Amino acid sequence: MSAVKKFEVDTKHLSAEEKILLEKLISAAELVAPLYLKQKNNEYPGANFYPSNATREEIEEAGRKNPAILNPYTFVERDKSGKLFAVPFHIKFKKELKPISNLLIEAAGLSPNKDFSRYLKSRADSLLNGDYEKSEIIWLKNDPFKFSFIIGPIERYLDKLFFKKCAYQAWVGILDAEKTKDAERFKKMLLVSRKKILPDSEKVDIFKLDVRVDKTLIFSGLIADFMFTGTNLPNDVNLMGKYGSKLKIFETPLQEKFENEHFPIFKTIFAKNFQKSYSKAELFLGSLRCILLHEITHSLIRYRDAEKRLKDLFPVFDELYAYILGIKSCGSFLLKGAMSQKELEAILIMHICRNFTWWLDSMKNPDVNHYAIGAAIAQNFFFKEGAMEKRGGISWPNFAKLCICLDQLSHLLEYHLALGNYDDAREFVEEYSSFNVFKQFSPQLRNFLKKKKF
Amino acid sequence: MSEIKKFYLTKEGLERIKKEYRNLRSLRLAKTNGEAPKIFESEDLNPEYLSFQEDLSFLESRIVELEYILKNTLLIRPPAGKKQNIIDLGATVTTELDGEIDEFTIVGSLETDPVNKRISNESPIGQALIGKRAGETVVIKTPIVNHSCKILKIKYNKI
Repeated sequence: MSAVKKFEVDTKHLSAEEKILLEKLISAAELVAPLYLKQKNNEYPGANFYPSNATREEIEEAGRKNPAILNPYTFVERDKSGKLFAVPFHIKFKKELKPISNLLIEAAGLSPNKDFSRYLKSRADSLLNGDYEKSEIIWLKNDPFKFSFIIGPIERYLDKLFFKKCAYQAWVGILDAEKTKDAERFKKMLLVSRKKILPDSEKVDIFKLDVRVDKTLIFSGLIADFMFTGTNLPNDVNLMGKYGSKLKIFETPLQEKFENEHFPIFKTIFAKNFQKSYSKAELFLGSLRCILLHEITHSLIRYRDAEKRLKDLFPVFDELYAYILGIKSCGSFLLKGAMSQKELEAILIMHICRNFTWWLDSMKNPDVNHYAIGAAIAQNFFFKEGAMEKRGGISWPNFAKLCICLDQLSHLLEYHLALGNYDDAREFVEEYSSFNVFKQFSPQLRNFLKKKKF
Repeated sequence: MSEIKKFYLTKEGLERIKKEYRNLRSLRLAKTNGEAPKIFESEDLNPEYLSFQEDLSFLESRIVELEYILKNTLLIRPPAGKKQNIIDLGATVTTELDGEIDEFTIVGSLETDPVNKRISNESPIGQALIGKRAGETVVIKTPIVNHSCKILKIKYNKI
């Protein structure tokens, strides 16, 4: 299995030095993929981060005595006596990380931008000494750089046992200044109003949110496996509270996903007459805005203790709520004349198509299951409330009812994230997460599934 | 006979339009007084000439558009006395809409800029709020989105 994905991007406008620098970063990114594959294990909810025969309770107990056990950057192993102990990633992968670190130092020497160079050197050190915060702060304070580059153990989605351990990933991209400007406009519109929060809940206030759209050249590690089209970093709420948040939209992977999945699904599950009302360009913009709204909203919904309360269910609620609340906000854009009804409809249609995509992706990669469960919750909610109907094997959305559903669902999800407990969250998930809501379309999707080798 | 469209502008908005109009007229003068590129470059149409003509035609149409706007402008002025309690063009309104506290100024369609909290009087929310008072709740309806909106505060900036 490969965990590297490359994308075609025009680099003609770059200087010879910049091209060499990018090659170094791409090589470093490629070397991260094998580390990720050593962490990944779909057979076990804790992947390879914990011994496969360790129970959740045993790990929690060991973690109380030794905090390194539940540190985001360690493997947990058993010694000869059966006792659990922690090995930091940078020690376990010392040999493999050295050449990656060297490539970053070489790239740093080629960059005319002093801050970018400092970031690369600091990141090179952090890979070897396990202290990632220092380089993250340099990045948080100084990006946007012309080149977007992230490397290291970052996302926690592989750890379905505790949602703590970080999996390796890397990406390299080039800033798309024009699309970034448009995304910035959207961000401002979303942030102009103050959202009321539920009494007794505690939210992290984001004082700074930077948005950028990148033409991505390579994904490696977890991000190549999950094929995200956008992301929001840092994950550490304390760092985010102190230095703000960085939102990235990956334009080239999004284009690929739209062409290969979102648009063909649209052509399959909606009636021909309905399809005629929307151009491909309108729908692509809908898809881009869907992910942009999702990522911007992510930074507005950080409840300080939500991860502790909801445990492994946290990502299901966190990801779904960001989608639902983001799209719901478009209702006020429409009322203010900042968005047309057609634009909002395109976003809703693409949200539905993206829900199907998560279900399909989860069949190939169970690690994206929390997204698929979230997608199923939304889709089941839409059907139960009559916002979607299946007639003659094809779906018909009722946009007015969909908007009401977004409102209702956002309140439910907000409650669980802000104040809810694990048992209530589990009950909610069990009620709404049946994948039959997607499977009922299998006959219509037959050709698409065959083409995609499902 | 079609009705003449009126353009509502703030004092600053009107100044901006006037400035753009003056600038474009000066630019047109400079362009037409200067030496125009030749129509033909050897046997082919000169691309410089085509681009010159395109620029000129764009300038002309924008100048005509601005002249029309300037002829049909209505200046937005703050209302007097008790009318300050009623929402009209130029009012800065604080509302609670869909669980969010929002503040924006109602302007004419030419000055709409939702990013900077300037909302058109022709938008669904603009249309619904004009004529209403603080404390009132109005329902704003579009074919797919309906929201109730509570008016918390109305203020007018002095000119």
